[in-house]
Amino acid sequence: MADHMDSTTPRRLTRRDVLMAAGVGLVLGVGSLAVPRRYLRMPQQAQVFVDKVAHYEMEIAGSILRGIQELGVSPDELKGKRILLKPNLVETASGAPHINTHPLVLRGTIEAFLRLGAAAVMVAEGPGHRRDTLAVYEESGLADVLTEDHIPFHDLNYITGYELPNAGRQSQMKTLTFPALFKEVDWIVSVAKMKTHHMAGVTLSMKNLFGVMPGIYYGWPKNVLHHAGIENSILDINATLKPNFAIVDGIVGMEGDGPIMGDPKKVGVLVMGRNLAAVDATCCRIMGIDPYKVSYLERADKWLGPLGEASIDQRGESLASVRTNFQLLDEIPAHQGIRLG
Amino acid sequence: MLLRSPQLNEVVTVLESRAVPEGGFCPRSGEPFRSDSTAWGVLALSLLGPVHSLLGGARDKLITAQDSEGMLSVSQEHEEAFWPTSLAVLAWNGSQLHETYWKRSVLYLLKTTGQHRSRIPGEPAGHDPSIHGWPWIRGTHSWIEPTVLAVIALKVTGYGQHDRTREAIRMILNRQLPHGGWNYGNTLVFGRELHPMPESAGAALTALAGEVAPAQVARSLDYLHGEVDRLRTPISLGWALLGLGAWGQWPSNGLALVERCLANQSRYGAYDTSALGVLVLGACAGGASGRHPFLDKPNSVAASMLQ
Repeated sequence: MADHMDSTTPRRLTRRDVLMAAGVGLVLGVGSLAVPRRYLRMPQQAQVFVDKVAHYEMEIAGSILRGIQELGVSPDELKGKRILLKPNLVETASGAPHINTHPLVLRGTIEAFLRLGAAAVMVAEGPGHRRDTLAVYEESGLADVLTEDHIPFHDLNYITGYELPNAGRQSQMKTLTFPALFKEVDWIVSVAKMKTHHMAGVTLSMKNLFGVMPGIYYGWPKNVLHHAGIENSILDINATLKPNFAIVDGIVGMEGDGPIMGDPKKVGVLVMGRNLAAVDATCCRIMGIDPYKVSYLERADKWLGPLGEASIDQRGESLASVRTNFQLLDEIPAHQGIRLG
Repeated sequence: MLLRSPQLNEVVTVLESRAVPEGGFCPRSGEPFRSDSTAWGVLALSLLGPVHSLLGGARDKLITAQDSEGMLSVSQEHEEAFWPTSLAVLAWNGSQLHETYWKRSVLYLLKTTGQHRSRIPGEPAGHDPSIHGWPWIRGTHSWIEPTVLAVIALKVTGYGQHDRTREAIRMILNRQLPHGGWNYGNTLVFGRELHPMPESAGAALTALAGEVAPAQVARSLDYLHGEVDRLRTPISLGWALLGLGAWGQWPSNGLALVERCLANQSRYGAYDTSALGVLVLGACAGGASGRHPFLDKPNSVAASMLQ
């Protein structure tokens, strides 16, 4: 699991790390003990798999199986395990299926994990905008798929939670409360949507995890996290939860005024990997966006995972063959200056 | 007896099964007491009649969740999540034995609000953030549903003319979408009108009934009428029926919609106690009963302590 996010895994310090750590120490004037922990954590090489999937009627399970194998996930890691898939279900609107992770991507993911020996696969979500999670579940088309496949769905918004110390410590939140259901699963997989975002720049596998925070504790629209800082919260949730895998639905993404009001963008890819920051950096490059210009990703670099192309072992399709610039809007500050050169 | 179908009577049996031994209700079988589940359970069972055997114990159990200032949170570990306070007021309302407690919670509501500030020219959000309402969670901005719940709680306890209630009604109106309906509380962002949501629209219309002219919410009523037939889930349908019923427009097929929604538990799994409670109240918000759960005359024991 060379690329699995693990803050305790030793790694050779790069010259940039040393310079940054020294710089921070000098600024603070108290020596190396004052260096933020994130600079002392070891970034890893990461592997990311990109597959062309032209439309949702194609064999998505086969694509995900190829990805999992290319990424070196061994059968023992999945055999007998309970897998929780966290899609991106936000809200629904007529004619806008590109708001949410497509149900057939969930179906393909479920099939892939079951074929690899998972004991159980479930889907769980706590939408940030709607209190009626079941309505989003129904109207997104996911209920049809999961009912037919006999796969359970869990509403995370009203579920009782358990607290963990905030391992990210980017915000003022001392603890984070996750659904108690998470204590019963072995793998958490972010099954996100490839979208621009009018506050965060992009929403991909890391931002998708806002939806695991129960609404009964965080409100709608998860306003506690906004007050704590969207970027801080993204980093805190990811650092604390440590999800195991990410799959991003870029078959049809969203450009422009995402994550709700944007236009569909056909890209025809699935992107997956163990390291969410690396997966999201790769998605950015596919979208024609510089991941280092997306603030929360830049802050995640060499902490939650690598962003640099040299640190990401790109498997499957080349980025050049799938790059499709997403529309960025002049009136949205988070879109300014993030275009990949 | 306000419930008029075998399926609704089955709901009562389910709610009774969610009672916990020490009093109150849990979200789902086998889970511990929770304040929001208890309040919705009380509100739903109250519609059976005035003295269901579980009501007294459930209302008493809510007292144990109330702090000295009158606040109730969703859990002891999250005292900042105080949104169940309004629900508790509604659950205690009408019970002379619990007058002290709802008054205390009303006082808490009247002195509590969200984070507000003046509007900044050119900011992306379309609503006026200076108008006070109530937040879900202490220290955050005010949003539609917690404000609606507080307004309803204040109205039924006799505080409908209080300055806070009047300002909150202005806040709800300010968050109405230009083409009708409400969502969680944002109208436009970067100049684009956001999507309405039935549960938010129904809740807002419930709070505004009797407070504003029909013309001010005509588009929202049209929106909800256009949505209600397709609603299959309890929170959306329950609040839509409450909202339409509050304006005397409960649909003629309302009971059939409720029964279809209940039957959908074979598809979604058993609904939690709060969702069932909302649905039961929506079912009783119009039609033959002619009585709306949230539009009773204000409590006769309403205090004049702050007016």
